[in-house]
Amino acid sequence: MRLAMVSLGSCLGCQMVFLSMEDYLFSLISENSVPFAPFVVDRKGIPEVDMVLVEGVIRNGDDYRKAKQARERSEFLVALGTCACYGGVPGLADMFSEERMMRRRFGADASFEGEPQGVRRLLPVDSYVRVDAYLPGCPPPVELMRSFLEFSLSGTLPSREGSSVCSECAVSGVSLPQAGPHRTTDAEAAEKKCLLEQGFLCMGPLTRDGCGAVCVSESGIPCDGCRGPSDAVLKHPALDPRAETLRRLTRATGKKPHEVQDAIKDPAHSFFRYCLAEALLRRRRPGGSAPFLYRLGERE
Amino acid sequence: MPEILIDPLTRIMGNASVKIVLDEAENPRDARFQAFGYRGFDQIARGSHIDGLCPIVSRICGCDSLFHQLAAATAVENALGVEVPPEALRLRELALWGQLFERHAVSLTVHSLPDLLFPSSDPGLRNIISIHRVDEETVKRLMELKSLGTSVLKEAGGRAVHPVNFLPGGAVRDISADTRRALIDRLNEARPFLIETGRLVKLLLRRNEEAVNALGTDEAPSLSLRGEGGMAITGTALAVVDAGGEAKEAFGLEEAAERLREDNSPHSHIRSVELSGVGEVRVGPLARLNVNGGYGTALADEELEEVKAHWGFPLHRNMIGHAARILEMIHAWERMVELLALPGGEMMRRTLNPSGGSGEGAVEGPEGTLLYGLVLDEDGLVKRLSITTPLQFNLKSLERAVLESARTVLGSADTGERALVLLETAIRAFAPCIPCGVH
Repeated sequence: MRLAMVSLGSCLGCQMVFLSMEDYLFSLISENSVPFAPFVVDRKGIPEVDMVLVEGVIRNGDDYRKAKQARERSEFLVALGTCACYGGVPGLADMFSEERMMRRRFGADASFEGEPQGVRRLLPVDSYVRVDAYLPGCPPPVELMRSFLEFSLSGTLPSREGSSVCSECAVSGVSLPQAGPHRTTDAEAAEKKCLLEQGFLCMGPLTRDGCGAVCVSESGIPCDGCRGPSDAVLKHPALDPRAETLRRLTRATGKKPHEVQDAIKDPAHSFFRYCLAEALLRRRRPGGSAPFLYRLGERE
Repeated sequence: MPEILIDPLTRIMGNASVKIVLDEAENPRDARFQAFGYRGFDQIARGSHIDGLCPIVSRICGCDSLFHQLAAATAVENALGVEVPPEALRLRELALWGQLFERHAVSLTVHSLPDLLFPSSDPGLRNIISIHRVDEETVKRLMELKSLGTSVLKEAGGRAVHPVNFLPGGAVRDISADTRRALIDRLNEARPFLIETGRLVKLLLRRNEEAVNALGTDEAPSLSLRGEGGMAITGTALAVVDAGGEAKEAFGLEEAAERLREDNSPHSHIRSVELSGVGEVRVGPLARLNVNGGYGTALADEELEEVKAHWGFPLHRNMIGHAARILEMIHAWERMVELLALPGGEMMRRTLNPSGGSGEGAVEGPEGTLLYGLVLDEDGLVKRLSITTPLQFNLKSLERAVLESARTVLGSADTGERALVLLETAIRAFAPCIPCGVH
């Protein structure tokens, strides 16, 4: 197979994972050709390939052109990483208008030679071009990328179906109610116990599985949703990451719903850290927005 | 006006292009480094609770993620007046050296070594994939160096890319004694090859002396964190030395933050930064060396002697940055072994009571000083964030290097294609990080 890697507006974390596949990386490059990957090889234009991995967000016209070219010149297009799949952390920029963000950074009259036109709203790659397969994760774990590539380079594109992080998590329950809601910086959690039930803001129940829940089970850190929304969240109009997490925290702490809601003062950053730009979630919000974003006083 | 465009630049971190503007006689007149795609990280972090700050800024750059996290965490700790337990500081330092080791290994093996190994071969062959076809063993061994840094980072940080173990106040988990021993064994095993690679890089630079001399010399003052008796990767004391190596200024974090002067670049989203009272400064592995004089560990300082003997000191030729990178990897190796040999800690963090305040944080990232400035509101939410990255300091120097190189290599007997390859080689000497630069 001929494989290309295209990076749009991104942090290159997915490329680092690609380079971390160790033995599999060497068998991949021996058995397939990689004619285009600016991070590694020198070719300047995207050639015709069998499969292209696109990572990052479409931030401006240059990114859009690249994504479009990648689509035209490849049989299969894979959205690699949470940015490409759901907008990722850069998708948080969707809280502001593009003009205002640029004005704040560069001043009112700034202009740049050769500057591509910015996009007015951030959207995942599949809002612009057809995507054949998704491999979310910020970044996707090495083992997951390896098995994904093994499958897809043999001609079978893995499907998008999946469960939630809790299905892989190896923690036990605690008796309720507990104190909280807590933030990771304010309190220490008991080891190997459910963090959500301990009153921590854990996005595990609403986040796609596949990571092995290592952050929660092994490091004792609540899931912050880096693999993006689970299938259930994407499919069911009533399952909103914010409302659902608040409901679970209310149950865990035995507090009143508004007390829990008031305690979390950064809803966009907490519940939608990796998926604020995801169109399937946004479609449910009237006018493509949600009232809690106004709290920041940023939206025009 | 005639111009030469290299778009995209390849084998670097991120998306950028370079444009050389020529005058009527077709002599290079200006070099413009173009990188767009400002993602607004300084703004999108606003309103976030401090516990979300590290994961958010981490996504600025996957190769330097921990440096962003810890510069931000330090800024929070300084804002709230929190003292981090020493065991946690040691674990943080270990993870930072691990990531620096990994990042340098990638920029050397994946990006720059192909140019030094095969200076006259076709650009299509200058990459690890092509080299792997003819010399599988060497590529595998070189990539093992990267994987060594990755392993240390993964054990100390919980994950290798975007680590999760560190948060304002300290760290969540320490590494177990067994893991410490296993990592020390792996490090010891890699030692001979690391030293060998260091000598190889120095040899290749001596063999490519012509390119080393042609591809940019910059005598701008050097800025870096200052260590006690060697290099520091975290800290609060900064220093500037001039071209002759004379100490020019020394100041603390707060003063540094006040003295930063940012300005738009006319053809890039990377805002260039100067230091008021000094002007332009260089940061990165060479600047660190110029400021600190050496590494402060035996092996790295021993290998440094040869560099000093051959190219003098302070170091100003950009290409010698590659030697400084491999020497830093040796230093990182020594520090990692030292830190892993120390006993683990019981108390890894302090819990924080969010309140208002402002603070700064600085780390020495792989390619230079990274500064964070932070204001928190009374709920502990981020009110204002400023991020100053290494490429912002080095942007003008990088453009000068491209121009200087273009004047030497364009129009000489070389074919056009080879000249363009050399211009990219000049850029890779900076190992510029575009995602950090535009952030």
